Amino acid sequence: MEIERLIPQRYPIKVVDELLEVNGNEAHCQLGLRADNCFIEPDGRMAEPGLIEHIAQCASAVAGYRAVAAGATQPPLGFIGEVKNFHCYRRPAVGEMLHTTIENGPEVAGVTLITGKVMSGDELLAETKMKIFINK
Amino acid sequence: MHIENEFFRIVDILKTDDNNAVFKIELITECKVYEGHFPGNPICPGVFNIETIKECAQILSGRSLRISGVKQCRFTSLLTPANREIISVKINTAGMENGLVVQATISDSSNSYVEFKGNMIYD
Repeated sequence: MEIERLIPQRYPIKVVDELLEVNGNEAHCQLGLRADNCFIEPDGRMAEPGLIEHIAQCASAVAGYRAVAAGATQPPLGFIGEVKNFHCYRRPAVGEMLHTTIENGPEVAGVTLITGKVMSGDELLAETKMKIFINK
Repeated sequence: MHIENEFFRIVDILKTDDNNAVFKIELITECKVYEGHFPGNPICPGVFNIETIKECAQILSGRSLRISGVKQCRFTSLLTPANREIISVKINTAGMENGLVVQATISDSSNSYVEFKGNMIYD
């Protein structure tokens, strides 16, 4: 399914290409990092807030996938409620393929606790826990 | 990414000492990010608020910084560019090996928007 059907974010802030798989509470997304977003630094690498936004949009794509499966015609708006224990180990460069795993915790009153890990090949680039609010 | 004068504009800096300052800022309605966040419904991206804190901490410390970790960052109210108030970005820094521990809040006279605790390393 086209990512635009799953998330409401658009250029210049859209930083996820595809929701590859949803398997129970785990989902996989990817982003081929290009220079077409507002997070790229003069050194050709993504700034740390871009990695946080990427994880949030991956989680938003999972919420969108569930909403569309339930009959929604518009992707739901999601907001970050909290970022916890974010670590950035290396900033990815334009041209790298990012593979991100999202683990969804239970949803309580519209808030979902998620864990996201961003990999490039075998290398862990960034990870965080996050609370996401989804507007339904 | 550099968003001073794109997303926010500094109108005043109230510096207490080398580790503490309040940056008085206003939001720039025309910022391009609102074209995509979200179309027809402009809302400040939470991560732009984090970047605002980083850029203010860079000005206070006089050093280029990278966010190596966020211990906790809570977004307590939604901020939108319709907010024409002067917004306070309060920064407190403490030294750590090769960088700074940064605590910050973003608020205006009626609301608190962000509470941030994280580590920034010298670039």
